[in-house]
Order: sequence, then C-alpha cells, then structure tokens
Amino acid sequence: MNPSVFWALVRKDLYLLRGFMLITALTGVLCLVLISFGKVAFAVGGVLFLTADIASGIFIAMYSLLAERKGQARAFALSLPISGFRYELSKLVSGYLAFGIPWLVLTALALGVFLLPGAERGMIVYALLLQMFVVALFSVMLAALLAMQSEGLSGVVILVVNICFSLFVIELNLPQNTRAFHGPAVVWTRFATLSLSLDAALLVLTLGFSLVLMSRRRDYV
Amino acid sequence: MSTPLLANAFSLQGVSKTFSYFKLESLTLSLPQGQIMGLVGPNGAGKSTTIRLLMGLAAADGGTIEALGYRIPKQVEEAKRAIAFVSDDMRLFPGATLAWHMRFVASIYPAWDQMYAEQLLKRFNLRPPQSVAKLSRGEHVKALLLLALARRPALLVLDEPTSGLDPVARHELLTELMEIVADDKRSILFSSHNTQDVERICDQIAFIDRGRLVDSRDKEAFLERWRRISVDVPTGVVLPRLADVVDLSLGERVAMLTTDNYLPQMHALLEHGGARVRDVQRMSLEEIFVACVMRSRAQEPS
Repeated sequence: MNPSVFWALVRKDLYLLRGFMLITALTGVLCLVLISFGKVAFAVGGVLFLTADIASGIFIAMYSLLAERKGQARAFALSLPISGFRYELSKLVSGYLAFGIPWLVLTALALGVFLLPGAERGMIVYALLLQMFVVALFSVMLAALLAMQSEGLSGVVILVVNICFSLFVIELNLPQNTRAFHGPAVVWTRFATLSLSLDAALLVLTLGFSLVLMSRRRDYV
Repeated sequence: MSTPLLANAFSLQGVSKTFSYFKLESLTLSLPQGQIMGLVGPNGAGKSTTIRLLMGLAAADGGTIEALGYRIPKQVEEAKRAIAFVSDDMRLFPGATLAWHMRFVASIYPAWDQMYAEQLLKRFNLRPPQSVAKLSRGEHVKALLLLALARRPALLVLDEPTSGLDPVARHELLTELMEIVADDKRSILFSSHNTQDVERICDQIAFIDRGRLVDSRDKEAFLERWRRISVDVPTGVVLPRLADVVDLSLGERVAMLTTDNYLPQMHALLEHGGARVRDVQRMSLEEIFVACVMRSRAQEPS
C-alpha cells in the first residue's frame, strides 16, 4: 500500500488536465454572462454551456485514459511503485475529480443564475436534471473506456454518449416536462424525480462495475 | 535504497503465460545479484512478456516470480521501490516537461540522486525545460533512462533500450550500465536482439525463442564452449559421429562442424578416421545465438 504514489498520480492527472479544467469553467462563466442578454443570447449561451459540459467529460475521459494507453505513458506510470489495480483506481479518482471540479463550478453558477431576483426558480430543477445527467453519462463513459482496450469501440461509446445526451435534451424540452420549470417555485415532477433516480443508479452501477472490473484485471500492458 | 542481502536479484521458476497467439512455456531463469543478464531472442520470442511478468504488468498463469526477495505480483509495490524499468515502447507524459518529470519521480523515490541526474542531463545533452512531446525518439529513450538511473535502483530492467539510439548514445548508455554494476549490489536485466550490445556488457546470457528458454549460462562459458571446426574430408573417408555436434554441413571435400562443447580431444577423434582438422574458429555471440535457436527449432515437435 503506497498512498503517496497513488496521490502523486492523481495530482499528475489534475496537473496535466488543468488547462482544460480552467477553460471549461471559464467557458461556463462566459455562457452564463451571455444568457442575460436576451432570448437569442440565452439560447446560444445555453447551447455553449451544455457543449462545454459534455465536451469536458469526453475530453477528460479520452485524454486521461485513451491517450495515456495509446501513447504508452501508461507503461511509464506502471513502472512506478504502484500495483495495476491502484494505478487504475488513480485514473478513476483523477477522472472524477478533473471532471467534477469544473462541473461543480458550472452547476453552482447555473443554480446561482436561477436564484437571482426575478429569475424563474423552477429552472433550478431543469439545470439540476441536465447537470446530473451529464455526470451520469461521464461515469458511463469512464467505466466503458476503462473496460475497453479497443480504440474503435471507445469511439462507439463516445458516439452513443452524445446521442443519449441529445435525446435527453429533446425529452427534457418536451412541453409536458418544461411546463413545471417556468414557474416562480421549484416543482419536483414525477419525470424529474425519476430522471434523478436513474442518474444516481447509473452512477452507482458504473462505479461498481469499474471497481469489479479493475479488481479482476490481470494484464495491464 | 537499501535492499536485503540476496543471492538472486530475481528468479522465475516454471513461469508460463498463454495469450491467443503466443505461449511462454515453463520459464526458469535467475540472475545473481550484482550481475548483468542479457535476455536475447528474435522479435516475438517472449522477451517483453518475460519482463512484463517480472514487473507485475501481467500475471503469470503458472509458476513463481521473485524480484529482490519480493513475490510478484503480490508484493509488486514493494519490489518496484527498488526496481527501475525502461522499455523501448515506453513514453513519458506528453503534456509535461522533462524538469517536471524529474521532480515527479524524485518525489516518489527517496533515493533520487539529483547530482547524478544533472550529470546525466549533461552527458545525454538533454534540456530540462523542453516538453517531452518535442523530444526525438533517441532523446525520449535517454530521458527515460535518466529518470530510471537517477533513482539508483537495485535492479534495472531494460527492454530493448538501445533500439532507438544512435551509435554514440548507445555507447554512452552501455558505458553507464557498466559503471552501475561496478557497485556489486546492483543488477541489470537487459533484453535485446542486438547481440553486440549484449556481448559487450553482460555477464549472464539467456537465449529465448518461441516462448521457450533455449539456453542460459555465463557469457564466458558460451564463448569458450562453442566452436566451428573446419575439416578436410578426403574421398572415401567417413566422419565419425561426435557427441555435442549441433550442426554439420558437408561440402564436396570439406565439412563444417558446430559444437556446443568443444574439447581438444575432438581433433584426435576426427583425424583418427582419416579427416584433417583445418581450422577451429571461436564463434561470436550472434553466431552462437543463431546456432542455439536453429538447434532448438529443429528439436521442436512438428
């Protein structure tokens, strides 16, 4: 057991991903400033915000796992005094942290905007549903990329994640779902609670799947 | 880093590993502490698989592995505190500089020798502020070697380390390796298909082919025992059957015998039957390696 090497590898990933984490958070701030400039700017800012959200997940998972594997830097990391299991655990922890830190900033800002005087408080649920779905998708993607050794299959996973996100946004914006969001108070509809429950279940399942998979893996390079 | 007094730097006992298209068969191999072993084999022979098993990067299907007294893979973290490993297909983290990598490795290994690292920087002509993504292939290998050597490991495991290096850099590396083992507690496992490099620096040699250990012994024993004997064979003379002849090529009046256990008495045996020994040649390690592999392949069940 060697916690110092484990955390050194986590810090290494956060250091190498720091630029992207910062850009994601700054893009989110700019988007939220943009949405205060009228209806068109609201739509453009919203789309850019969601793009930053989902793109950061894809980039972090790809860079952290695929690039290190493809570029053979994994062999260097595994030459350090750490077991294969703990190396993969460090990738999982750094992946969630690298995604989670800017995600937290974006989520806090989004919720903050809808808490401003005059804002529709119902939109807090809308923002939460989107943000939680993005986390769940990131978790699915990270688990899948951890499991897959093939680059082609990893590409398919990323494509499926994108399609799922688009479908969710369409579902979320159906009139029967959005009605509750455009009000002065937070309303937890059946759709909202079901969606959040599914997100939580996906998070737990993918995390469990990743840990089981990692504990069974015998060959790393 | 201080390591317990051990007879062997590592040992593999009956180690096997099966992949879809390759099988490492019951490999038994050990390296006495303070020595350099050259693991020699053609491409795809099983050199890298052997090293990956030793480093705990893959788990063996059978057999036992020990490195510096630690069981692998169970105690791999403890073992890797005193082992440095570099392979030709290994890369550093592309988004960082060499200076960052030096700080990173130094933070993990208490035995990191900064003065030695700076000497190696000069010797290898490397610039710490340079991003590793911009290093040439040879510079990258040198950077990896610097990071491995400055840890002052008890066991250095190198998988084809010279394959990307120019002749000057290769010479520098081999000289460096010989200096390392001047300290008799440090050991090196060096895999290569370049027998010249191996012949230059190694004490022990192991030949591996198609997942099987073909032969393993002291380098001097290889060089002393193997000979190529050129013999004149007059018409009507039949060469006697000699033990330890691994290859015999017959020309019209000349025969060439290759033996893996040369004894001067062979001259008398050959000449007794009417043949005449024309010449006895020492063999290079490359010739010995090729002869060993060919013999092993000839003995394989079809």
